[in-house]
Amino acid sequence: MNGAEIISRLKCLGDVNSTKDIRQLTAALFPGAHCPLMGAMMAVGGIEDAVLLVIGTDECTYYTKKATIGGFSFKGIDNRCFSVVLDHHDVTFGCREKLMEAFEELMEEAAPKAVFLVTTCVLEVTGDDVDSMAEELQTQYQIPVLPVHTEHFKTANHIPGVRDTVTACISMMEPVSMEQVNHKRVNVIGQRLGKFEETQLYDVLVKHGIEIGMMLPGGTTLEAVRQAAAARVNIVVNELGLPLAKKMQVQFGTPYVMFDKYAAPEHVLQAYKELMGYLKIDMEEELETMYQECVQMAEEAKKTLSGMKYVYGNTALSCYEYNAFMVSMGMEPLLIQTNEYPGEDDPYVKYILEKYNPYVTKSANIAPLQYVYDELKPNLYLGHEYESRLRAKKIVLVHDSNLSSMLGFDVSKAVIAELVRAAKEAKILAAGEGELR
Amino acid sequence: MSLCRYLPTPSDRMGVIWTLLSVKGAVVLEYGPAGTTHFSVSMYGQMGVEPNQSLFTTHLSEDDIIMGDVTRLEEAVREIDKGYHPEVIFVVSSSVTSIIGADIKGVCNYMEQETGARLIPVDTGGFKGDYSLGMREGYNLLVKSFATEAVERKKAVYNVLGASGCDYRMRSDLWELRSLMQEGFSYTEHATPGMDSSVAALKELGAAEVNLVLREEALEAAEYLEKTYGTPYVYGAPYGYEGTLCWLKKVSDVTGVPVNPELLAKLQRKKRDTASYKMYASMYAHKENRPQAVIVGDVSRIRGFSEVLEEVGIPVTLKISNHSLAGFEAGDIIKPAKEKEKISLLKEKTYSLVFGDEISLYLCDESCEKVVTSFPLIRSKQIAEHMPFIGIRGMDYLLEAVDRYYGKL
Repeated sequence: MNGAEIISRLKCLGDVNSTKDIRQLTAALFPGAHCPLMGAMMAVGGIEDAVLLVIGTDECTYYTKKATIGGFSFKGIDNRCFSVVLDHHDVTFGCREKLMEAFEELMEEAAPKAVFLVTTCVLEVTGDDVDSMAEELQTQYQIPVLPVHTEHFKTANHIPGVRDTVTACISMMEPVSMEQVNHKRVNVIGQRLGKFEETQLYDVLVKHGIEIGMMLPGGTTLEAVRQAAAARVNIVVNELGLPLAKKMQVQFGTPYVMFDKYAAPEHVLQAYKELMGYLKIDMEEELETMYQECVQMAEEAKKTLSGMKYVYGNTALSCYEYNAFMVSMGMEPLLIQTNEYPGEDDPYVKYILEKYNPYVTKSANIAPLQYVYDELKPNLYLGHEYESRLRAKKIVLVHDSNLSSMLGFDVSKAVIAELVRAAKEAKILAAGEGELR
Repeated sequence: MSLCRYLPTPSDRMGVIWTLLSVKGAVVLEYGPAGTTHFSVSMYGQMGVEPNQSLFTTHLSEDDIIMGDVTRLEEAVREIDKGYHPEVIFVVSSSVTSIIGADIKGVCNYMEQETGARLIPVDTGGFKGDYSLGMREGYNLLVKSFATEAVERKKAVYNVLGASGCDYRMRSDLWELRSLMQEGFSYTEHATPGMDSSVAALKELGAAEVNLVLREEALEAAEYLEKTYGTPYVYGAPYGYEGTLCWLKKVSDVTGVPVNPELLAKLQRKKRDTASYKMYASMYAHKENRPQAVIVGDVSRIRGFSEVLEEVGIPVTLKISNHSLAGFEAGDIIKPAKEKEKISLLKEKTYSLVFGDEISLYLCDESCEKVVTSFPLIRSKQIAEHMPFIGIRGMDYLLEAVDRYYGKL
């Protein structure tokens, strides 16, 4: 394949007007992105007493069940994942009859407290009205039956599946009076990777006597979901949690604080201050100390990072915030892989464009990237890639697996330390001083 | 089927893809949402099929579906052709593109004018039947699309038809088959469509002296080769010592080559040694828990294991097929219409020798002796390539299971 030809098809960030302008590197993909069905599965897996009922083809249902047997908090063969398998008859005449029969069996055998009714591509093409079927089932069985639509042809990857499943939970939440609000309780929304209990933010909250209520999709119960409106504030740790947080704000008056995995120390400081304001906790001095430590580390790192060219893949951090931070450190983005464009008014996009205009492309297609490296010649790669393959092209992989269970200044520190390590290694490689490993 | 608690039956689309993926020099391009491709890779891996620049997806957008726009497919075909230079690209439809009626045959027809690769449309969207039908289509496609020209007959060479990665321990079975054919007749393997083959080898399928057919799904392909090239075939696999003897004689009859007497003598000795197992069977028949067996799997393997158990005198009281029985002479093999029925049949079995997949084994009572003989695997991995179910070594292994079973009764 010709790398220059592949690049010639891509748009630069400054020329993008909407997500549709972000093109795939190639039309033929391998393995391609995960679908929202997987996202829905991951999210329901985190609600320990909820059942996942997938309505789809043999393939969709087979792979989902197989994945749940192996993990995703479902545990074992007899787990909480069930399916209704569609055949040609259902495609022609609709799935209602089969779904009703299956649901009756499900209620008899598993007696679930809540069911997430997850539709897949085929149903969304045939237009079966699963929302009304869910309503009917909810009325009939008097349990929450929540439809979640996971057609892949409308989305880029699995994240919308997590987002929509999490958002659907609002219908299970019970309203509370002002007096019932627990001012020492927070909900955590959007923790899709790692454990919140292992983060710096968690330690800080616990130290100040704050209790954690609902953690969606990180691991919760239906009871915690029902009681979610009693929390003082929602902490949104990934933007996939925003739709639910916004709905809860409108419906229950629960405010939210955006507390993503920020790379830039000032963003972490800002998030902490906003959160502590809601919780009426005074930790100004403590925060300032942690912040200054990160700022000093960043200043020192600039000496090593300045001039480093990189290709950005899919990481645990927020794409544009992380890229803006790296630009602020003197690094140059050559290509950013992303599935979303936040709009020209996004402050991070603006900041990146003030200095550079990198190519953008959809993620999860690493095969043709090999040819792109030869043209762009980056020093670093951030995201999932084969380390040995990169090193053969004198590119160093920046690791991020340890960031999953981080939130707070520990993210900034870990990011800076890893970037510096990788940059030093890249300089040694570029100088032709041989293989390090 | 209504509620599915465990794994549903894989579709015809899945069956056809895993059959086609085995062809070296060919690429499978799925025209559909990417998620299915991504999800499928781990299953192929479990079967020992590693897609290495041989499987791609186009993905699909809502616009493509609404407008019937095939530009994405055209671009993908061009890219693969230019970038990887495969001899063949199988363009496989998905459930979504089948429903909207995407004309992949038409696209392949006009695109072939500009590609170096041959384009073969596979219009199997997952709604015609299950994987057994898909494999049948796959074998037919591999044989009828490639074995079309006159070829020179090669001496002492055979093809294997009906081998598939979807059969647990198939690589081991092929290893044993090679050993039997080499030791018995000094024959070597030419091609194994659906498992190990290349475009070049498929074009020369007609050069073999005999075709060995392991699965009923490949019979039509064998008949085609017989009609086109006059190549005779032997249907059935060598299960059990007695079954292996019969099978070797069948091959000998068809090829006209006598079986190596040393191999025959070895098998006769083995067969004599198993006489005690028949005696155990009649002794235990009077006990409270009489010996009985259950087999869950694909029809061809159920027949093979039934022969094994017949040789040792254990009656098989339940035979459940994993796939549809349409087009099969099923005999006493059943395919329960509902999963619930299958679960109940398996759960009521106690003190039985059970051959099956790990979910079926999980459902059987703990008093049973359980032997993993088919996919899907849940707890274990397939690593060994020298532990067959067929031939002499296969029977040796299965007898060990029979022995353990008597220990439980």
